[in-house]
Amino acid sequence: MRVAQSNSNLPVIERGQPISLQVNGQLVSAYEGETIAGVLFAEGRRILRHTMKDSRPRSIFCGIGVCYDCLVTVNGAPNVRACVTPVTEGMVIETQTRERK
Amino acid sequence: MTERLELVVIGAGPAGMEAAIAAAEANMAVTVIDGYARPGGQYFKQVSPPLKSDNLTARQKQAEFLFGRMEELGVRVFSDTLVWNAYPAIEKGEWMLSLYGPGAPDSLQTKSLIIASGTYDRPVPFPGWTLPGVMTAGAVQIMLKTQQIIPGHRFLLSGTGPLQLAVGAQLIQAGAEVVAVLEANSVGLAQFRHAPAMWGQWAKLREGWDYWSTLRRAGVPLHYGRAVIEARGQQEVEEVVTARLDTDMTPIPGTEQTVAVDTLVIGYGFLPSTELTRLLGCDHDYVPEQLYYVPRRNDEMQTSLPGVYAAGDGAGVGGVELSRIEGRIAGLAAARELGHLDAATARNLLAREQPALARERRFARMLTEMFAIGPGFTALAKDDTYICRCEEVTKQEIVEAIELGSDSLIWVKRMTRAGMGLCQGRVCGQWIARLLAEQLNKDPVDMLLDTVRPPIRPIPMCSSEVSNND
Repeated sequence: MRVAQSNSNLPVIERGQPISLQVNGQLVSAYEGETIAGVLFAEGRRILRHTMKDSRPRSIFCGIGVCYDCLVTVNGAPNVRACVTPVTEGMVIETQTRERK
Repeated sequence: MTERLELVVIGAGPAGMEAAIAAAEANMAVTVIDGYARPGGQYFKQVSPPLKSDNLTARQKQAEFLFGRMEELGVRVFSDTLVWNAYPAIEKGEWMLSLYGPGAPDSLQTKSLIIASGTYDRPVPFPGWTLPGVMTAGAVQIMLKTQQIIPGHRFLLSGTGPLQLAVGAQLIQAGAEVVAVLEANSVGLAQFRHAPAMWGQWAKLREGWDYWSTLRRAGVPLHYGRAVIEARGQQEVEEVVTARLDTDMTPIPGTEQTVAVDTLVIGYGFLPSTELTRLLGCDHDYVPEQLYYVPRRNDEMQTSLPGVYAAGDGAGVGGVELSRIEGRIAGLAAARELGHLDAATARNLLAREQPALARERRFARMLTEMFAIGPGFTALAKDDTYICRCEEVTKQEIVEAIELGSDSLIWVKRMTRAGMGLCQGRVCGQWIARLLAEQLNKDPVDMLLDTVRPPIRPIPMCSSEVSNND
C-alpha cells in the first residue's frame, strides 16, 4: 500500500501525476515515477509470476535488479524487471505464467 | 569506429561518482556507465522525479552536491546501460567494454578502468525463501524510500547488522506494523573489544541510536541470537518459524516459535558484485567472516591488473564513507598514471585521504566481525529447498550432482542448471560453493571463483554487438 500521510510520521508526501495502465486486462491507476513493482504492490498484488518448471509464485526479492525474480511482460515484451522499470501512461502489464512465451 | 578513452568508471554510486569527480578535477575526460535510470547507486538512489524527497534531506543534499559536481565538470554519464563484457584491447594495456543501453555506444576502448560495481543483499536460502512476501532489507528500503510504498502489512525482520534497525525504524515511521526484529548474532561483553573502532564514529552511532529508539518507542522487540528458519504459506507468506541460534549460527532444536506475518524482511549483510573483476581475471582474496571474495588491491585501489581499479562496496563491503574515499583515491591514482597530475600533487592529495581511510576501514572491519555469518547457516536449507531460484534446483539435486562427481560450480551447473538462470549465479553461487566445500571436504576458497563468461548480464539477442559477433 502507499504510505498514507495521516498514518505516518513522514513529512509531506507529494506524488507524481496520476496515470493509468493495464494489469492483466484491468485498468489500474498509478503515479508517475513509480515502478511496476511499486504499483502492483500498492494494489496488493504481490504475486508477479509463476515459475516455468514448478509453477511456484514469485515476487520482488532483491528489489535492485539483481535476482531477476520479479519478471513481468510489458507491452508484449516478456521478462522485464518490475523492480527497476518505471510505469508509463497506457502501459500494458501482464503477470507471467508457466507457459513459455 | 570504437571511441578510445582515458578513463571509464563503471557504476555511479558513491564510489563511482567520487572517482569520476576526482579524475575530472584533474582535467581528465571521464565517462561513467551506470545500470540504473539515474546516477546515485543504492545509497544516493534518487527519488523518482515527480516524487518529492522526504525526510532524507541531509543525504539528499550530499547526493545533489555530487550530481551537480559531475555536471559542472562535464562528466559524461551513460545511464540505464549494462556493461556485459570486458576484455583486453589489441593495443597493449587498454581495455574493451561492450555496452547495452539506450544512447550508449556498443563498445568503448579505454586506457584505465575504475570498477565501482557496488553490492547487493546477501541471499540466504531457507525453506520458503522463494515465497512472495520474503524480501531483502534493501528491497523494502528502496520501496519505502524512493516510492513511499509499504510492501506488506505485518512485518518481521530477520538478519544481522545495522541496516535491519534502519529498515525497522523506517517501516514504523511509514505507519507499518513491525512484529519483531531478530538479530542473528548475540551481543555480549565480548563486543566491548570493538569500542576503539567506534571511537569518533559519532554520526553513525547517533544514527543507530535513533533507529533503536524509534523501535523501542513503538514497542518492537529486538531479539538477539535468533533468526527465521522457515517461511510458510500457500501463495504468499502467512507465517514464519524462528529459532534460537548457537554460536556458529546453527538453529537450536526445541526453541522454535511460529509467528503470523505477511512479510518477512531478510538482511544478512551484502555481497560485493565481483563479476567484472573476475571476468577480467583480477586476483581475488577470500574474506572468511563474510563468506565472499574481493579483488586484491594495492593502497591506490589498483587491482592485480595495471590500469584496472576497484573501489567501494564492490571491492569489499564497507559502507558509504569508505566507498567515497576509495573512489577518490582510485580517481586520483588513475589521473596521475596518465599524466594529468604530477607525482607531488598526487602524493599530497592522496595523503589527505589516508586518516579517514584508516578510520573507515577500522569501522568496516568491526562491522564485518560483529555481524559475521556463521557456518551453521548453510544448514538452514533442507533437501527440497531451492538453492537456485531461477532454475528451481534443490539442495538435494545439487548434492546428488556432487556425489556423481561434480567438483566445481561449472560442473554443478552443467549437471543441474543451477546458476544458469537469468541472475547468472549471483544469488546461488556462494551457497553452491559452500555445499561443494562441505561435501568434498575442501576450503571454500578453492570453490567460489568460477569462470565468469559474457554476457555478464542478460541482454536481448538483438543487441547489435552480439549480432556483429555472430
